[in-house]
Amino acid sequence: MSGSPVQDVVIDVDDLRMVYPAPKVGTAATVAVDGVTFRVARGEIFGFLGPNGAGKTTTISILTTLLQATSGRASVEGIDVATRPNDVRRKLGLVFQRSTADEELTGRENMTIQAGLYGRRGPAVDRRITELLTQMDLAAVGDRLVKTYSGGMRRRLELAVGMVHDPKLLFLDEPTLGLDPQGRAGFWRYIRSLRDSGGVTVFMTTHYLDEADQLCDRIAVIDHGKIIATGTPKELKDGIGGDSLEVAVAAGAADLSPLVTSMPGVKAVSRRDDTYRVKCTNGEQLIPKVVLAAEQAGISVRGVMVLKPTLEEVFLELTGRAYREEGEVPKAEKNGSNGEAGVVEARP
Amino acid sequence: MMLPVASLVRREYLRWIRAPTWVISGLMSPILYLLLFGQAFDLGKLLPAGTPPAELAAVLSGAPNYFSYFAVGMVAFASVTAAMFSGTGIIFDKQLGILQRVLSTPISRRSVFLSSLTFRGILTLIPAFLVVGFALLLAHVPDVAGLTVGSGVTVLNAAQFLAAALVLSVAFTALFLSFGFAAQRIESYFGVVTILQLPILLTSNAMYPTSIMPTWLQYIVAFNPISLAVNIMRMSLFGTAGYPYSAAVYFAGLLAWAALFIGLAMLLASRALRTNPAASPTGGALSDAIAQ
Repeated sequence: MSGSPVQDVVIDVDDLRMVYPAPKVGTAATVAVDGVTFRVARGEIFGFLGPNGAGKTTTISILTTLLQATSGRASVEGIDVATRPNDVRRKLGLVFQRSTADEELTGRENMTIQAGLYGRRGPAVDRRITELLTQMDLAAVGDRLVKTYSGGMRRRLELAVGMVHDPKLLFLDEPTLGLDPQGRAGFWRYIRSLRDSGGVTVFMTTHYLDEADQLCDRIAVIDHGKIIATGTPKELKDGIGGDSLEVAVAAGAADLSPLVTSMPGVKAVSRRDDTYRVKCTNGEQLIPKVVLAAEQAGISVRGVMVLKPTLEEVFLELTGRAYREEGEVPKAEKNGSNGEAGVVEARP
Repeated sequence: MMLPVASLVRREYLRWIRAPTWVISGLMSPILYLLLFGQAFDLGKLLPAGTPPAELAAVLSGAPNYFSYFAVGMVAFASVTAAMFSGTGIIFDKQLGILQRVLSTPISRRSVFLSSLTFRGILTLIPAFLVVGFALLLAHVPDVAGLTVGSGVTVLNAAQFLAAALVLSVAFTALFLSFGFAAQRIESYFGVVTILQLPILLTSNAMYPTSIMPTWLQYIVAFNPISLAVNIMRMSLFGTAGYPYSAAVYFAGLLAWAALFIGLAMLLASRALRTNPAASPTGGALSDAIAQ
């Protein structure tokens, strides 16, 4: 916590709070971030997962110097974001939730100007821009005005603009919002390649559970401004009791629960009619034991299914409410999102 | 250090060159005034027939006819109307998040403001030039009043004319930029700007001589930045006779206005570009954007 930055900690956040003052007299102040502490190590893809309004964008805005925190400390590459914002800005690339490219300019012009803002120009920059446009599948449209781009092209251009100065630390705010499934898969591949070949550290927010699960090395789950869990996706899922075994037995059979409860690795057994749900550490290994015990007791097993835990269950376990009940509407630009991962498409 | 500023100027230039609409909008009012008001309304005709030209010239600050007198006023007015559009870009940049992206880069906050002021200030001169050219052309159209300039106009006079137009442009560009930094919505911006446009014009000597005004209005007119610029511009074209002060005095006054407006714009810009929402007028919009 003290002045000496640890070599492999890229982002160090300690008890960060952000309170937006009450907009009018008589209304309440909004606590957007409520005492957040975490660290991001070099070379990892760190996901900030939570429903809309949880404080994700506020946190990313503080870390990228666009907002000043009410209290607490945050440093990037060992540099305090509040006291030396300009040094922090040099270190990072930022991709916004919405398209911030200039519509009246071409994709390439947007990138050239962004590079200029970092004091970079010349043939090397031009080559870099061409390379990024190719990587982002925008080579064919690089010299067209952004206003002619599709939603997916805009998202990819946004990423290219954020990468133009070759940052080793990338902040992504809901980067795949509004992308179709192929677009998201391609984006995930690209982010992984950045980490694997370029050593880039990625801090990203997302409210897509599957995205956090598949893409991120580590996740912090944030809800109502507080981090409620941190860990690898596997750790989080194991933390809620690992797998579940769903065992269906013949109607009117004897109670299976006493037989299963005492087995090693079983945490809890619940029953609904003729179906049992067994929470356990390793479902596959438990299957033959359960089946054998049931047959020996004369209970006819009609089917067994292993249910792997999902982050959705993690969220339910941690907050007591289902993730999809948030009634959230993606802040998509033009066409909305593809409605995956429990995002409710509401409102026209 | 210069490259970031140059990049922002280049962006503004590219945007403008592809949609130079506001030059046309800025030109509309002055050109209409020249074509209609300036043609119909000739103060010289109101003087008794046979009034010696010297007497008319004395009323019109040395101008050979009313239209010439009026046309110089319209050049200044063109600068002001063109400057009215200079604050719009910053509002769109705020709303579209472009400003936020620029602010996340290591460019200095002052550069953001200065690039806007430089580019827009110089661009604002274009309509003024076009109005001069248009008024000069009209002099060659039969039966139409046009701008007639004395033969004694030197390069130095022309430079003085240009300098006054430039300082006036930069001053009003700064004023309207400051409104752009302060406003959250384009509607409120144009609300304020259109309310200001006519009073600024009508409390100046752009359209009629100060000598025919009531005393109370004369005081206001004397300090109006348009009047100060127009005095200098008329002095350069029609001579300095009849003015109580030298061009240098009017220049000092004009520069004082420019300094005031630039100071105001820098203050509002730095507040708008500050990152603490509690103290910033953009805090509302920013926290709105973040809260959703």
